[in-house]
Amino acid sequence: MDVSTAVFAVSCSGTPITGTRALQKERQLNQFLAEVERRALRIAEIGIRDRDEALDLVQDAMIKLVRSYSERSREEWAPLFYRILQNGVRDWHRRQAVRNRIMVWFGKKPSDDNDYDVIAAAPDPIGRAPEEELSNSEAMQSLETAVYDLPSRQREAFMLRMFEGLDVAGTAVAMGCSEGSVKTHYSRAIHTLREQLEEHRPQEYGSQEGK
Amino acid sequence: MMNKPDDTFEQQAKATFDESVDKLDAATLSRLNRSRHKALAELQRPRRQWTHWMPATGVAAAVLVAVMMLQSPTAVDDFPAAANVTDMEILLGEDSIEMLEDLEFYSWIDTADMDSDVG
Repeated sequence: MDVSTAVFAVSCSGTPITGTRALQKERQLNQFLAEVERRALRIAEIGIRDRDEALDLVQDAMIKLVRSYSERSREEWAPLFYRILQNGVRDWHRRQAVRNRIMVWFGKKPSDDNDYDVIAAAPDPIGRAPEEELSNSEAMQSLETAVYDLPSRQREAFMLRMFEGLDVAGTAVAMGCSEGSVKTHYSRAIHTLREQLEEHRPQEYGSQEGK
Repeated sequence: MMNKPDDTFEQQAKATFDESVDKLDAATLSRLNRSRHKALAELQRPRRQWTHWMPATGVAAAVLVAVMMLQSPTAVDDFPAAANVTDMEILLGEDSIEMLEDLEFYSWIDTADMDSDVG
């Protein structure tokens, strides 16, 4: 956005803001979104197991954040952004449930989530040795499957805290619940994941703990 | 506001996730970039004044409920269960048109299947 268009930018309150302020705000938002977009995509993708749909959800979350919360402070953006995104993921699951019920009504077999092929959806390799690539893909596949199988609130708490790195307070804002609930969901998620992943892949997730 | 994993399992999980983020392909990164610019373009748009429509919407909803009750008081008791209301909300959401188009398609497929069976 050049200066001439920035002059006409408006704030959330509908009042015009100055060109300098608009440019500064745009720069801050651009930086914030660039920082979170890739992790947000992977978090959404793990939550719904569909990259195209996840890209749409991330775009919606970006637009809603800019449209509704651009005037909030920089520190508030991450929890707000993830709250919008998690709401999008939940809505997506609700729509899928309705869609599947209707498909059954029409006598069609609902799409099976297990058809998702994590290996096929994995991004292009970037020059690693094939053995290392395969090992990392398998580790991510195990982790994704285990995280996806968690109850939704535990999955949200785990991904927001672990993958995005939000603290308890920020996660609570993003999930719309108390900090105590976040701690409970997160603790249960870690317990379940550790049990599952250590059982299946002890060489990758558990062996170093005893050392 | 950031959290640091302090346990080997958590560190492993975080490292595995971070690596998957680093390996996102160019096409995906390009789409993210476009999405970001599309979102930033919102800064140049005037905010929609939904509040102007709120009184009219409220009156319309109240009139609708009143008409329903006057037309058939028992209809209120027969109103679908909460789950079905939720279904309707979802169906009438942003994606409903696309989904309804799909439904017509599936209906057509069903008809086509039946015709081919008969033939």
